[in-house]
Amino acid sequence: MEPKLREIMSITLLAGEVLLRNGAETYRVEETMEHVGLACGAQRVEAFVIPTGIIVTISTEHGEATLCTRVKERTINLSRVVKVNELSRRLSDRRLAPEQARHLLERVARGRTEFNLGVLIVASGVVGASYAVSQNATFWEITPAFLAAMFIRYIAHLVSHFRMVRFLFEFLGAASAALIGIAAHQVMPEINRDIVIVAALMPLVPGVAITNSIRDVIAGDLLAGISRALEGILTASAIAMGVGLILTIWRG
Amino acid sequence: MIVKIGAIFFLSLSIGILYRVPKALLFYGAVVGVTGWLTLQAILGLNGSIVIGCFVGSLVVALCSELLARRLRRPATIFLIPGFIPLVPGLEGYLTMLAMVRGNYLEGIEMAMRTVFMGGAIAMGIFVISTIVHTVSVLQTREEKQDAS
Repeated sequence: MEPKLREIMSITLLAGEVLLRNGAETYRVEETMEHVGLACGAQRVEAFVIPTGIIVTISTEHGEATLCTRVKERTINLSRVVKVNELSRRLSDRRLAPEQARHLLERVARGRTEFNLGVLIVASGVVGASYAVSQNATFWEITPAFLAAMFIRYIAHLVSHFRMVRFLFEFLGAASAALIGIAAHQVMPEINRDIVIVAALMPLVPGVAITNSIRDVIAGDLLAGISRALEGILTASAIAMGVGLILTIWRG
Repeated sequence: MIVKIGAIFFLSLSIGILYRVPKALLFYGAVVGVTGWLTLQAILGLNGSIVIGCFVGSLVVALCSELLARRLRRPATIFLIPGFIPLVPGLEGYLTMLAMVRGNYLEGIEMAMRTVFMGGAIAMGIFVISTIVHTVSVLQTREEKQDAS
């Protein structure tokens, strides 16, 4: 591959990969790759993106090349999506040179997020507690909901090394939410078990999968839309199975 | 009511943190969430059905998100996700599962239909607004291209 083409190819693929890994919509990945490639001096960029991989063809005056990348692990980090989006805008407006863009992209891909584990755990707890408040819960129901939701986030941290086991986190999280709810009801019978469990489950709602599947379908990426929808449905099923298992054992 | 509005504000804000929305944009998502939830409550107050409430609430959420996205030049998703989470039928979904576990299949199916319709209404709301925005932006780029050529 000719060096100039190789340069364009690597920047474009890097931008696409960072977006896809961190929970951007598929059509956004395709559009951004096109913008980045053209801004770096390509004549034509064709990107084909599905939630699990990227295929891109770039042509310049010296020739053309096609590369394919698999994306196996995905997390959700919308601040990286925002940063790459901003970067592609600046590239298109010629406010940023391609060499700088590459450097910045690598920094975005490796950069730590602005929220550390402690903040995320507390935020998860606040999700549970505030949902409980909106469902007219008493103080004694809000407290276990807060603790259970915090614990769910901690489980996410523990099982993050086992990413190859899909939906393990949702299943374990839902099961422990059910256990905490039952335990709270046993300790204090006036606590409504169901409110505690539902509130603790709120941080598990697959928000990104739902919105991305709708937006991908509208943008015409039917394949991506269906796979995201399936992801959302399977997540919901994993949650239901986690809670259902514990409640069945308990004869709820 | 004030307490609940505060709770929904912090609910949306924390969902934003969980999805690692940039700090500077967290506040907007939380306001969108409160707006959507208030719309749902207003419809319920007018004796509207909860499904219609979810649909209109989600229309409002999607509209606010798309307007904010245009104004701030950021992806609409970062306002949309914290915005619609307060509308999600979490309790209904749980009650479905509970009825099924207890063997009350009739009640379970009733709850399941309610959950599916509420979820579908939320999805339809986002769908309608996103389609309109998508069409408008396609028409705009077409005009720009014609002007350029």
